[in-house]
Amino acid sequence: MANDELIRDFFLKMKAGDQRIPTPEFPEVKTGGFNWWIPLGIAATLLLGGFFLMNEPVPEPPADLIIISLQENENQEQQLIIEEKAFIDTWESTTSSLLTDF
Amino acid sequence: MQHSKLEHLLKTHHREAFLWARQCCYFDDELAKDVLQQCYLKILEGKAKLQHPEKIKSWLFSIIRFTAIDELRKLGKTESLEENYDPIILEDELDQRNYEGIIQRLPLRQREVILAVFYHNLTIEEAAETLQITLGTARTHYDRGKKKLKELILKSETLNQHG
Repeated sequence: MANDELIRDFFLKMKAGDQRIPTPEFPEVKTGGFNWWIPLGIAATLLLGGFFLMNEPVPEPPADLIIISLQENENQEQQLIIEEKAFIDTWESTTSSLLTDF
Repeated sequence: MQHSKLEHLLKTHHREAFLWARQCCYFDDELAKDVLQQCYLKILEGKAKLQHPEKIKSWLFSIIRFTAIDELRKLGKTESLEENYDPIILEDELDQRNYEGIIQRLPLRQREVILAVFYHNLTIEEAAETLQITLGTARTHYDRGKKKLKELILKSETLNQHG
């Protein structure tokens, strides 16, 4: 206990001496908080991207069929006619002539 | 806890927090101010959360201590944690009125426990929480610190009487 008294007395004097130490002002702490510019930026980019995508002309779908036929013209010359169509009216098997000719 | 309430609690303990920061920074006022600023930032940004408001003092002291350790490490000011580490005492420096000088003669852990208990009126349990050590270890540092401090006080008194 005597030990404690000696120590307590030491700290009482130390605290009294520390009274001269000025307390610094409570610092102005500026917390970052949530940065609303980030989600706003993302939303604006998405909107802008969507706007340009909507206005872009839709390309015509490619034709499903390419019909190549050999026809005679008015000069009795053979010529290749290439047609692009999405459908076919008639279809003849390329080997059907074999069945009729032989 | 609400930001404003937390800030109010910090303001209530500001003076004591500064003195503890100073003691953790080898009584360097400027470093203590920097450490304290960093601690408040950690707390108000939610990086350090107060779970039990009734333990605010030991919680705050703990944050200050760890932040001070980090800062001192950056500055290359580290101290041996060896229990038997005994700094050389120059008799000229043992002025009876140089309380800070006398306190600094204690090994680090003993100094921290003794300051927490006798200067800041924490219990040994609270000091253990602040230092993140077991109660048994805190008691050991407390007993050894008291014994060593008594020797230092008596030695400084003797030197002053004869000097």
